[in-house]
Amino acid sequence: MKINKRILKSIKTLPPFPVTIQKVMALAGDPDSSLTELAAVIRLDQAITANILRICNSAYFGLRRPVDNVSDAIMHMGKKNVLRAVVAAGLSRYFRTTKGYDVKGGDLWEHAVAVALMSQICAARISRPDDPRLFTAGVLHDIGKMVMGEFVQEAWQKIQELTERQKYSFLEAEQEVLGVNHAELGGEIALIWKFPDEILKAIAFHHRPDLLADGDAVPWIVYLSNQVCHVMGIGVGTDALAYRAVGDVAGRFQLKQRDLEDMMAHLHKSLQDARELVSIVSGPGKKGRG
Amino acid sequence: MADLVVGISDLRVSGNPADSMITYALGSCIAVAVYDPAAKVGGLLHYMLPDSTLDAARAKDTPAMFADTGIPLLFKSCYKMGADKKRMVVKVAGGASILDESNFFRIGQKNIMAMRKLFWSNNILIDAEDTGKNVNRTVRLDLSTGKVYIKRAGGQPEEL
Repeated sequence: MKINKRILKSIKTLPPFPVTIQKVMALAGDPDSSLTELAAVIRLDQAITANILRICNSAYFGLRRPVDNVSDAIMHMGKKNVLRAVVAAGLSRYFRTTKGYDVKGGDLWEHAVAVALMSQICAARISRPDDPRLFTAGVLHDIGKMVMGEFVQEAWQKIQELTERQKYSFLEAEQEVLGVNHAELGGEIALIWKFPDEILKAIAFHHRPDLLADGDAVPWIVYLSNQVCHVMGIGVGTDALAYRAVGDVAGRFQLKQRDLEDMMAHLHKSLQDARELVSIVSGPGKKGRG
Repeated sequence: MADLVVGISDLRVSGNPADSMITYALGSCIAVAVYDPAAKVGGLLHYMLPDSTLDAARAKDTPAMFADTGIPLLFKSCYKMGADKKRMVVKVAGGASILDESNFFRIGQKNIMAMRKLFWSNNILIDAEDTGKNVNRTVRLDLSTGKVYIKRAGGQPEEL
């Protein structure tokens, strides 16, 4: 369990969660907050401001005219969309590089965005209110990989032995060899970042929502969206299909095979519309996956 | 040598022997590679779903998304460049699934079935196939030789 301790120690070296996003999350959730307050908070963060205009002007947010300043962007987008854009602009910084999963930083970011978009498509399909936690949880579900990557790379041969010869899932192999898996580790990061409990759970259990006793739909939606993106091969690496299907997600949400196919078709369009959002972390220029 | 990247729900055809075509990280999707060795014309399709009746408008807009609209379009695009049906070599890969798949995530199996049915009813034989299982595949078609290479996640490219 020596490695386990090393891993847990290394998450403490992660940069702190961006204060701007914390503030924007609080303001976006407060019905009394004004758009001026929101704009003032965002403008203080140069990195976010630079990315946010690019993101706002993507087809995904459907603005009629391009905007060139934060105040206009907020006015035209509404609070919910501002929150999404800020989350994306602010969190992309964690996805620049990674090791161990045979993916480039840009691929993992594309995967993160795809899962966030799919979570919304899924919520709409099962007639759930558009919950802003879904987007954040979707973007961050694999945050544990950013720290795990280095250790997965070190232990690569042992992990591969288990997944290829002994029918372990990638998650089980991580757990066996490193004493912790990337989802659980993501939960630890969420704890350090003081995330709300529902987001923490959605991250920590994104491969095993069946282990959660309460019936919150958010972890199941993130699980389903992630599985679909893995099946489609969006931004995934060597671990792509080495995960298990758990529980009856179709029955839980009363989804049919045709619904799933329609959701996949929707995601294809959504991802095209969100190209600017994906491209804020530059990838290796691979475009075709599935 | 130009590497033409074929995106998801996309297809490319070419008659330039200096080209090669590549499509990355196929999961449940299927890559269909066709090649006419006499005309030296080839094409690569990367479709995502089995059946275009799901959404007729989308099928019209993005025919390469579905097996039943993408495969005919792939062949027709090659004919336009001088390929002949009788000479076409057909190789397919993909249609994988995750572990412990429930029926719900068996989209890969449905994609394989749709393709086989379509080829069967059009009297087209599949010359080589690497489908199913739970592996992620990257597919390359080399137009100077017509050879198709499959790279499984974490492995080396192998000829199909």
